[in-house]
Amino acid sequence: MHEGKSQLRILVVEDEAKVARALGEGLEREKYDVVVAPTGEDGFFLVNAEEFDLVILDLMLPGHDGLQVLATLRKRGLQTPVLILTARDAVEDRVAGLDKGADDYLVKPFAFPELLARVRALLRRGRPEPSQPLRLADLEMDVIARKAKRAGHPLELTAREFELLEYLLRHKEQIVSREMLARSVWKETARATPLDNVMDVHINRLRRKVDEPFDRKLIHTVRGVGFVLREEE
Amino acid sequence: MRFRPRNVRSRLTLWYVFVLASLLALYAGVASLFLFLSLREDFDQNLLEDVETVEGMLAKEPNGGVSLHSHHPSAAEPRIGQFIEVWSPQGSLLYRSPALQDKTLGGGPPGPEEGLHDPPPSTSRLPNGNRVRLASSVYHVEDQRVVLRVAYGEDRLWRELGEFGEVLVLGFPIAVLLAGFGGYALARKALAPIDSMATQAAKISAERLGERLTIENPEDELGKLGAVFNDTLARLQAAFDQLRRFTADASHELRTPLTAMRSVGEVALQDQRSPVEYRDVIGSMLEEVDRLTRLSESLLALSRADTGHVQLQREDISIVLLAKEASSVVEVLAEEKRQRIEIEGDADLLVSVDRLILRQAILNLLDNAIKYSPPESRILVRIQGEGDKRVFFDVVDQGAGIPSEHQPYVFDRFYRVDKARTREWGGTGLGLSITRWAVEAQGGNITLESEEGHGSTFRISLPRAKYSSTSQSKGGSQ
Repeated sequence: MHEGKSQLRILVVEDEAKVARALGEGLEREKYDVVVAPTGEDGFFLVNAEEFDLVILDLMLPGHDGLQVLATLRKRGLQTPVLILTARDAVEDRVAGLDKGADDYLVKPFAFPELLARVRALLRRGRPEPSQPLRLADLEMDVIARKAKRAGHPLELTAREFELLEYLLRHKEQIVSREMLARSVWKETARATPLDNVMDVHINRLRRKVDEPFDRKLIHTVRGVGFVLREEE
Repeated sequence: MRFRPRNVRSRLTLWYVFVLASLLALYAGVASLFLFLSLREDFDQNLLEDVETVEGMLAKEPNGGVSLHSHHPSAAEPRIGQFIEVWSPQGSLLYRSPALQDKTLGGGPPGPEEGLHDPPPSTSRLPNGNRVRLASSVYHVEDQRVVLRVAYGEDRLWRELGEFGEVLVLGFPIAVLLAGFGGYALARKALAPIDSMATQAAKISAERLGERLTIENPEDELGKLGAVFNDTLARLQAAFDQLRRFTADASHELRTPLTAMRSVGEVALQDQRSPVEYRDVIGSMLEEVDRLTRLSESLLALSRADTGHVQLQREDISIVLLAKEASSVVEVLAEEKRQRIEIEGDADLLVSVDRLILRQAILNLLDNAIKYSPPESRILVRIQGEGDKRVFFDVVDQGAGIPSEHQPYVFDRFYRVDKARTREWGGTGLGLSITRWAVEAQGGNITLESEEGHGSTFRISLPRAKYSSTSQSKGGSQ
């Protein structure tokens, strides 16, 4: 249905106008083709009428309940990946969503970088991750040998620092939230105050080793959001 | 259908009257029986005496019959209600009182045994249905053996009993009525304090929880009831106070970041700024959003804990290994302050807990200890088995300690010993509350021992896992 195979289509079913607009703009900026449906009925109609590569579905919708939209979608045999947004993070709600055929869920309020990461993962699903070399500017990492180099100089990193840098590098040029780091690097389910301080210490140490001796800084803090590994600025 | 009076007073009175009436009836019955027995004994005594008198009056007639005659003319007259029969042993009637007309006293001629060995009188019925008391005796009139029967109608006996009964029946309702009134008055007097307690209690509402019931006598039942009620009120008041404080604190905690966001945003919009400045403003606002998010998550976790909606995934784990794992996470924080975290204890000590929840509690305690301890100090984590039942997990720091006036409240939500400092460190003021919940959810408890200037010891006491190694902790330094 859609030409220009490069652009992936995402349907956002969200009744809260501000959130819907923010999601639409944010995703468009990431070069996705976004359609926003403000009610469950609209969403229901759109998933029946058009083709999407991904559906982002709010569970609490006026008109049709989000779960109903999801159930109908799956009943019709559509395999479109569905990411659920819910304000309720009770376990039963998540289980209900996943049972009805959702592929992933996010609890509100979520961090936008987190949403982007999930969207990317869902769209990539089934296809192997493009094996890019882990490299940014003059920073290089060899995950198998567990070695990192900057401008040819080996970096002495602890295991945790290595994992942290690896995660940032795998998501280079994307903002990584503290939640994402807590889950992926520290394997923590909940982000607690101690962990925030721990993260700050590790980022500082990493900066001292990766950035301090060099003119070009790679590790940047995005205030209030998280961290990003990128060249400019 | 059962009749149930509405108030206790009437019920008590009814019961009282019912019990009293039953007792009275029983008493009347027993008394009547005794009266009857005693009257009959007198009656029988008279009868036996009469038998002897009659015996003395028997005289033989020339025709072989027997007649009665007396020296006193009046005595010869048969008494009213007195019946006499005289039989020969062969069964022929020798004499019969005229009053009997043709009726037989004993139902017929005497048997061979009748009247022998002075038998006690017995009751029998005349053919017309009248009950008589009958005594028989064997007597010799000159040389003739006769069987003498003397009987009295029982009318007199029953009449006397009836008179007694009348007195009882007349007195019974009066007694019951009086008892009813008395019982009602008594019940009312006894229950009056309850009425006044109820009136007082009804006046105590959520807004006036400080009031208490007046207790006249703390030793009696009502006094105890009042004390229990007052006790409940006190606990209710404490719970309300805590809730009120919590609400006030929570709204304060929510307003702080909201105020920050608002003023930062408003000030930024006052005039044109460079994109870099705007980014900074947005970043600053997002930091506050982050704080609000974490606050709401913590509150949600606690409220879920309050309603008991948390399911524990228990497993037997070594608490020493868990402590080491948690310590490895926060170690860098200690390193920054050149502090040492030392863990002492036997890795064989097992506890049956939800690993993630307990880990959170340990992380919070360690983080706390690091924050409040001076640089280059030592933080000791000491794990010891306490008998076969419990495990003690102590976090001992060398910080400034917690002043005793704060100690009872450190686990309260939003309670902060040093209000300015903790907020600056990004705490929500809920860390120790969550820690306490995390420990109590596992069936443990947490206590604080602290002396100003001498550091603090937080002690978690946990139930030991059933299949825990029995060897005692050897690592304890105590």
